[in-house]
Amino acid sequence: MSIAEAHSEAAKGFIDVRSMGVTFGADESEVIAVKDVSLNVQPGEFVSLIGPSGCGKSTLLSIVAGFVKPTKGEALLDGKAITRPGSDRGVVFQQYSLFPWLSVRKNVEFGLKMAGVDQNKRLTTARSLLDLAGLLSFENHYPDQLSGGMKQRIGIVRALATSPQVLLMDEPFGALDTQTRVVMQEILTNIWQQFRISVLFITHDIEESIFLSDRIYVMTARPGRIKAEIKVPLPRPRTPEMTDTPEFMNLVQELKGLIREESLAAMAPEIKERGLSGFGMKVGPKGVGQLY
Amino acid sequence: MISTSEKPEAKVTEGQTAPSEPVATEPELVRGVTLQDIARWLSRRITRDRIITLVLGCISIGALFLVWYLGTKYRFEFYIRFKNVPTPAEVFNQLTQVGLSNKYLVNIAISVRRIVTGFLIAIAIGVPLGLLIGKYERVRDLCMPCVEILRPIPAIAWVPMSIMLWPNNEAAIVFITFIGAFFPILLNTIHGVHSLDGVLIRAGRCLGANEAQLFWNVILPGSLPHIFTGLAVGMGVAWVSLIAAEMISGQFGVGYFTWEAYSLVDYPAIMLGMITIGVLGLACSGVIRMVGFFLMPWLAYAPGGRK
Repeated sequence: MSIAEAHSEAAKGFIDVRSMGVTFGADESEVIAVKDVSLNVQPGEFVSLIGPSGCGKSTLLSIVAGFVKPTKGEALLDGKAITRPGSDRGVVFQQYSLFPWLSVRKNVEFGLKMAGVDQNKRLTTARSLLDLAGLLSFENHYPDQLSGGMKQRIGIVRALATSPQVLLMDEPFGALDTQTRVVMQEILTNIWQQFRISVLFITHDIEESIFLSDRIYVMTARPGRIKAEIKVPLPRPRTPEMTDTPEFMNLVQELKGLIREESLAAMAPEIKERGLSGFGMKVGPKGVGQLY
Repeated sequence: MISTSEKPEAKVTEGQTAPSEPVATEPELVRGVTLQDIARWLSRRITRDRIITLVLGCISIGALFLVWYLGTKYRFEFYIRFKNVPTPAEVFNQLTQVGLSNKYLVNIAISVRRIVTGFLIAIAIGVPLGLLIGKYERVRDLCMPCVEILRPIPAIAWVPMSIMLWPNNEAAIVFITFIGAFFPILLNTIHGVHSLDGVLIRAGRCLGANEAQLFWNVILPGSLPHIFTGLAVGMGVAWVSLIAAEMISGQFGVGYFTWEAYSLVDYPAIMLGMITIGVLGLACSGVIRMVGFFLMPWLAYAPGGRK
């Protein structure tokens, strides 16, 4: 393989979103979900998209996945416009999306089977991916027999089975408890370290986005726009100890400030008027909640 | 006991390849495979829970027979009249006399053949059509008006039309059976597609499934639990329709057997016909449940599914 070939091989998985706008509904009921968003994910880069709930970050991911068509602008993968879902983009959903009627291994094999890969090859690939996820011993179980964290790990390796150029993840750990979440982040960063494919990761968890990403886009409240772009200078591979470094803490503080403004903006206007202190419980002489 | 001559040999060859295996456990293993193991397996299967289920089942059937027996023994007569109802013993006699006769068995075979034919055609048309209607809005718009008009017409009301429509009696009866089974299967299939979690379809698309692959690998298996509900309901309605059709237009069949017995004032035979229909219906839904059990093993673990 020549150097040029190797380069072009390595340069795959470039996501380019150009001045994209999405509106739902028409006329009076029109809702602007995303407004004039431009972002990109370089080949092999891990990029997070963070913002308050309802800011349209999942909509953006749906467009890159090919489920939703943008009203304005375009989304490109390696220079080609994205028009529909395809196995060149692996997607991990927030909800558990394993097929309950297939065993764990058959779930991982699914994409390969659709592509017409022969059974032996499928088996080998699925086994090695399950081994990577630490779930080889569960290959013949059904998804409903597994915990949430296990299901999501299988969801990740299932999306990787077809060797996609990019991985799109829509709050994949959102439904998990905090402890499982932290472990899953470590597992994901380890898996990514081996595959080095482009990742677009949606989350509302600040620590999660810093720990995993090379770069973070912060979105505004609806209509969603890009408010800031933050580089994460932490070295690779990432380890859990890094979350205690001052560098990490500073990034957390910076992002918290940015997100807080937007979360407040996203809430009802009266909160802005009264201020958050207006929501405190009044403590009178007769106790909490009773003034007199 | 049979395995004792073979087992030690197998163990020796295993022992050669893996000498680390403890030798002391061998005799115990060999003995364990036989009666003890079967006894243990049985005792594990016979739980308290299952015994209670069985006992209650026996009480249920027994009570039915008891009412029948007492009613006929004392010729119970108060608004409902047991005067002409044959006793269980008479029906049992009928069974031993008629039961093994050619006529009775041929009638059963013909009814079963009609049910199976009508039911399979209903599956072959109902399931694919239901999947298409469930998936595509336009197919739904096109087909549902017809479905909604035809659905309330009971299969029995199709009998005269069916006799006119089809070239022979047999085809007409199969058609009526088909009509009975078709709508429950169709509607439950549609419902199955609609209740399928959209994320699974999106996941299938992302993994590269084209439209046909999506149908075969996601939509069909995802709808299967509802389809089987439709099959169970459809089987019940198919029997109702079949018996009615056989009574009205039939030659042969269990329904015809029962109606003929009524015409000939052969009371035990009426009862025998009824019981036969009940048992055949039970057997058919049992077959459906069993096929469903083997076709959908994952349901054993589904939340809120079968326990």
